[in-house]
Amino acid sequence: MKKKTKISIDYNKCGDGAGVDPRDCCICLRVCKPALFLLHQTIGAEQKDPYDPEKWRVIALWPSLCSLCMSCVNECPVNAITIVQ
Amino acid sequence: MCELCMKHGAGRKWYLNAQHYSDKIVEKYNLRDYLMEQYKNFEQVSVRKVHGFNGVGLDYKLRIPVIGRIIKHTAEKMLHSTKPPANPLRAEGHIGQVVPLEDGIAILEECAAEPMINKNCMCRYMSRGEKEACCINFGVMSDIIEKLPRFIPEKDKFHLTRHEAIERFTESNKKGYIGTIWFGPFPYINNLCSCANPECAGIRPRLDFDIFSIYKAEYIIQLDHQKCSDCMLCVSRCPFKALTFDRSKKEVRLDIYKCYGCGICRHFCPDSALYLTPRDSIPETCGKY
Repeated sequence: MKKKTKISIDYNKCGDGAGVDPRDCCICLRVCKPALFLLHQTIGAEQKDPYDPEKWRVIALWPSLCSLCMSCVNECPVNAITIVQ
Repeated sequence: MCELCMKHGAGRKWYLNAQHYSDKIVEKYNLRDYLMEQYKNFEQVSVRKVHGFNGVGLDYKLRIPVIGRIIKHTAEKMLHSTKPPANPLRAEGHIGQVVPLEDGIAILEECAAEPMINKNCMCRYMSRGEKEACCINFGVMSDIIEKLPRFIPEKDKFHLTRHEAIERFTESNKKGYIGTIWFGPFPYINNLCSCANPECAGIRPRLDFDIFSIYKAEYIIQLDHQKCSDCMLCVSRCPFKALTFDRSKKEVRLDIYKCYGCGICRHFCPDSALYLTPRDSIPETCGKY
């Protein structure tokens, strides 16, 4: 059976927990050719203004589309992404 | 005509049935509150759990032998739902169709309810972090989007007149974006978007995972080989890979089974060799949406 790709993002380095707002960066979202990452408001988080949320995260939504080019891993300024097979 | 036209078109294409744009539907289903709640957290729709499953890693879940089929069926049933909208945190009744430039203009001229707005496309934002003002919304949407700052365009005009909306849509279409019209939720039509693949959350599930999230257009492209000069500009621009270069015959080849009828290839052809014809006029593609 083919191995599954697991892409994990360390939320201690990127996201509302780390004090880094992914909306200012968006590098992994842009370099990924099949666009498998997703930017979303943190689920279950208390937002100061529900109409303009300030707590955001990035998640790898479709890991099967990953071609293992590693552009996201290399380009991430805080080294938050790890890809394992 | 597709299933949606047969069931909901009242003798016309479903998106040209003006009843679907009416404020009466907004009042009847209390869509003002429903859509406000939905758009406030729109980017979370793929990560929220529905019946215990969410969209994360859905591609692997769809490959599991029996459960995969059940998940696919459940997702499609939710998207195609015609029941009164109940849960704003799910993409219920959110089904759409590709439209070529001419039908998009007909929608804006004849059916779309004013006021019309131009907003930043949510799909582009959540998949690329980019704000691109290519989504035209009608009716109650202007009240909803003006409360959500991230969707209000910075450089482009927010409120549009009918004429400006037509110009905007034409501009996006000629740039190579695919025109799409959406129920959101059924039976209210409020969104004429200019999509790109793979950023569009409506087109990508169908192309990559075979989930019926969007209907092909009521039209299909035909290629006139007499006029074609094999410049291959259309081949590089087709988002559905329906146009390819046949090396053995040394000519451009059209795969009618892959063509979605978006018509953007026509804008790039210098020889006017590509033209649209109704999908039902060709036996091989008749009824195949």
